[in-house]
Amino acid sequence: MIHKFSVRPKDESASATLRHERQALGIPDLVVWREYYVETPQPLDEGDKKAVCSVLADGVATVAVADEALVPGEMVQVAHRRGIIDNESDSIVTMCELLGIEGVAGKAALTYVSRSPELQAVVEARRFNSNIEELHTVEPFYETLLPRGTHEPPERYDLSALDDEALAAVGTAGGRNLDPRQMRQIRAIQTELGEDAVTDVLIEALDARWSDHCSHTTWKSRGDLLKRLVAASEGTGNPNIVSMFHDNAGVWELFDGWGIAIKGETHNGPSAVSAYFGQLTKLGGVLRDILGTGLGADPIGCFEYTATGVPEDPPAVPGRPGARQIATDTIRAIKEYGNTFGVPMTWSKMTFHRAYRAKPFALGGSIGLVPLDKAQRGKPRSGDVVVLVGALTGNEGIHGASASSAGAQMEGAAVQIGSPLEEVKFRKCILDLRDAGCISAITDVGGAGLNSAVGEMGEACGVWLNTAAVPLKTSGLPMWRILLSESQERMLLAIPAAKLDEAAAIFRRHQVRHTSIGRFVDNDRYCVFFDESLTPARIEAMGAGEVPADVAEPGFDVPYALLVDSPEPVEVGEPPATPPPAPDAWPDLDVDGIARLLDAVVADPEVASQHAADSQYDSTVQGHTVYGPAYGTRRPVRASYWAGTPLYPSPAGVILSTAFNPWLFELDPVRALRQSFLAAVGTQVLAGVELADVCLCDNFYTPDLAEHADEWLVAMVDELASLVGLFGTPVISGKDSSAGSTKTPDGIVSVPPAVFLTALGKIDDVARLVREQWQRPGNLLVRVGPSSPSPAATVAGRVLDLAPCGLDDADATAYSRYLQSLREARRSFVSATTIGPGGVAAGAVVGALASGLGIDLSGDCTTAGALFAEHRTGALVEIDERDLGGLPQELEARVVGRLTDVFGVRLGDRELLTAEVESSWRNGFARRIA
Amino acid sequence: MKPTVNVLYFPGTNCQVETMRAFRHVGAEPRLVFIEAVLDGDARLDDADVLCIPGGFSYGDHLGAGTIAGLLLRTRLRDQLARCQTKPMLCICNGFQIAVRAGLFGEGVTLVDNDIGTFHNRPDQVHVVEGDPGVWLNGLAGQTLTFPCAHGEGRFVFERHEGWRPALRYPRQANPDGSTDDVAGITSPDGLVLGLMNHPERHPGGDGNLALFENGVRAVAA
Repeated sequence: MIHKFSVRPKDESASATLRHERQALGIPDLVVWREYYVETPQPLDEGDKKAVCSVLADGVATVAVADEALVPGEMVQVAHRRGIIDNESDSIVTMCELLGIEGVAGKAALTYVSRSPELQAVVEARRFNSNIEELHTVEPFYETLLPRGTHEPPERYDLSALDDEALAAVGTAGGRNLDPRQMRQIRAIQTELGEDAVTDVLIEALDARWSDHCSHTTWKSRGDLLKRLVAASEGTGNPNIVSMFHDNAGVWELFDGWGIAIKGETHNGPSAVSAYFGQLTKLGGVLRDILGTGLGADPIGCFEYTATGVPEDPPAVPGRPGARQIATDTIRAIKEYGNTFGVPMTWSKMTFHRAYRAKPFALGGSIGLVPLDKAQRGKPRSGDVVVLVGALTGNEGIHGASASSAGAQMEGAAVQIGSPLEEVKFRKCILDLRDAGCISAITDVGGAGLNSAVGEMGEACGVWLNTAAVPLKTSGLPMWRILLSESQERMLLAIPAAKLDEAAAIFRRHQVRHTSIGRFVDNDRYCVFFDESLTPARIEAMGAGEVPADVAEPGFDVPYALLVDSPEPVEVGEPPATPPPAPDAWPDLDVDGIARLLDAVVADPEVASQHAADSQYDSTVQGHTVYGPAYGTRRPVRASYWAGTPLYPSPAGVILSTAFNPWLFELDPVRALRQSFLAAVGTQVLAGVELADVCLCDNFYTPDLAEHADEWLVAMVDELASLVGLFGTPVISGKDSSAGSTKTPDGIVSVPPAVFLTALGKIDDVARLVREQWQRPGNLLVRVGPSSPSPAATVAGRVLDLAPCGLDDADATAYSRYLQSLREARRSFVSATTIGPGGVAAGAVVGALASGLGIDLSGDCTTAGALFAEHRTGALVEIDERDLGGLPQELEARVVGRLTDVFGVRLGDRELLTAEVESSWRNGFARRIA
Repeated sequence: MKPTVNVLYFPGTNCQVETMRAFRHVGAEPRLVFIEAVLDGDARLDDADVLCIPGGFSYGDHLGAGTIAGLLLRTRLRDQLARCQTKPMLCICNGFQIAVRAGLFGEGVTLVDNDIGTFHNRPDQVHVVEGDPGVWLNGLAGQTLTFPCAHGEGRFVFERHEGWRPALRYPRQANPDGSTDDVAGITSPDGLVLGLMNHPERHPGGDGNLALFENGVRAVAA
């Protein structure tokens, strides 16, 4: 029996949420009801219904009613598609249990109520995603709320007799992305094993294992690019490196026996289909990467970046969400996952750029604390039990790894559904297990599901996995789907058999689901099967090294040596030449022109306040944030770095900063990378960090179908390796996504070849950090560092629609000398900040808005070029005038103006920071996504 | 002997570390108490000098913030909870929502979506202490306390003025959640139980305002 409970505002006029929703959707009489379906074995009596209503509604602001059907024409209900288990289901069952009612499952929905004839159209356009949701105008009939599914035996393919054409067809059937060469290799495996056929389980497993997502085939085939980066990083000999590119995250030595892990991960493909779930799971996934580092690290901060199309444009792919929807769904997702998990947001930003209109750049990152003696990747031992931890496994995210690698197409089935509660629950549980010595090895279950997690962990010795033991959301699934499911919030642990009882007690205390699904064995083979008779208890009772014989349904049993994919090398040439910079391309503007330009520049989302989004992310949870992600006593403005003191009560700090600007990369990826690298390390040194204490995390996002994509990719990697060597700043973590091209009805849309850099530094006392807020009227604001005078890729250049020209070619060797001088001069800086989008002019505006002070711009700072060129590797520093002469020559100091106690930014007697300009800065971003 | 503090941990609690740190900082001995252990009979809510329900998203805040945890406390642990109410009890953020749903402040009060319609993060939220604010804010009447605000469902709404009295208010024009009468925290009529949405336990650098914790611990140490 299924009952429906509808929670409604008691006083519609008093509901803040409703007021906002009415305004957002333009329906003045709109009412939104939160509805819960509850499946029970027997019908509920009126007393039970009343009890449920009294829990779901508080009686003050809300009331609840039971079993009232939708009224056609006046109500539109949006719910997840059948087959998706709502996160609320477990809680609905728990509520029933606490009320003494037997509950089987639950489902949540939102019902929009209005007499407006536009209701359905508006909801369909603004609050509905057909990829994962269904829309009802009449009461839906549910036979059961439990997703159905059937187990089917594996399909078998005799590949030995197939020609290339037939092989290719098998390789791409059902959404697989195996190429003919890979299919020939699978045929060779069949021959090597002496089998008369292989199963779909093996084919699917290798489709995922050999995908670009798991195997980095693009990077391998273009000259083993990762090896080049690792070699350069190792070459720095930096003693802070603890772990680099061989675990779920890199680890950097902190202080007092602790390390700090860092990882950035993208969910570009899923976010194009459902930004809400794509962004939800990107954060969940990268937090699990940290949890799965060493023997378990504790996330202490997260960061996120999203680049999507222009909000005013229609979706590039029909049926997919447009940029505005992606923007609002992103904010909701990041808020819900990060806040619920309890990890402070250290930095977040959103960019609108047409190259990301078909597939956004959805980057999530995290840093985490780990004891140094538990910071190295664990190794399972023969006899250890394979324990699956966390959420149930469902029919979701299928082909997520291979589909996202393929890039061009991605369907709703490849979208994973996130549930932050599950992850919060096992976060502390994992740390307790770690500290109790219960973990031999750990990894997260992410892309390619158990196949990747178990298969990769098993490479240390050998492993067998019984898919029948995996707890499912559905009543059954084919073996390959269990293996490939990308259901979220799952971790995989290798637990010594002798520690199972102790681990079970810890799991129980945390109410974390855990199941023994296999054993590690000393045979260097990867074995997968389905046998319901081999229960978790029997798996645990088996002897160390024992391998089950005569299993009910074999999937595959293959030596690891046969599972290696060696993509054919691809010859890559030099990238094309790009235009030279044109520093003189700035127009002559009078003061009126400069004032108008400033108003437009500060309204650009690259400069404008993104407080509408940022203020929804918890930045103080865990209690160790000491600086950022915003600063300012008058207005909160984005800080150029974040600092935290996770080793309380030690004043030692972790400093995080980022560098990325897609407009640079679309002009010249190599010069853009160099500017980004210099800006990343420059920000850290400016803040007070020693260069030797800085490391990097890279996230490459490159197109696969764009002209010269390979050439630019290789050239960028080589440039990065060169800079790592020159500055001694290693890249210790990162990820490559090489599927940035999307087929649309209007042709292929490609992202620019680009890399997002995150810098991580440490300092023994955060009190020595240089803050950004202006302090004293009378002080000088001085620009230091190399100039980047070209209008290329500047906000002002876009506003003025200047003719395209080349990027400035930064001199890395000279910059190295500059950093040394910057370090020496730091003690004379009263405050200091980087120069970002909008150049010196935007820096002056933001400085005034943050501090409430003002600046009188100097006579040398009156032209468009001087004000709006973006000297991205330079800085604006506040100094006492008496210190000006003492600044080292290498800083190339130029006075921008003098601080005053009169709020504003003045050019001569003209006030540039008018109320209108401040309003443009405050609302420029929010207006675009409203 | 140091005063003991039970810091209650539900699935989804996420502010336990900084909460325990704050209590430890003022000389108490905090211990994490898992709700599952309490339900199993392996631990109790009421065997410490103080009970604290910290922030987070208990049970994912499914079905409404604090709904499941509040229901659990008032159905399964009613007696232990009643004994805790005879001693100082501190309920922060989600802990406050749980306490309200558990009925610790009587009927006719609730916490609903912020007036702005979403979560609001502000590191430096100002609060003004009411007169006669109870044991946790004893001696601080009229003072302003600044600590972070970070919540989505913190708008305090009441139908009746029974079972609680205001202990903290937001300054006029600086009410981040739209709470009625600018109420930022309430106390039980006997002053022992304090509920507030914002986060005094988040005190970077250790020099933050811990007077609130000192008061609660001093009350049981005396």
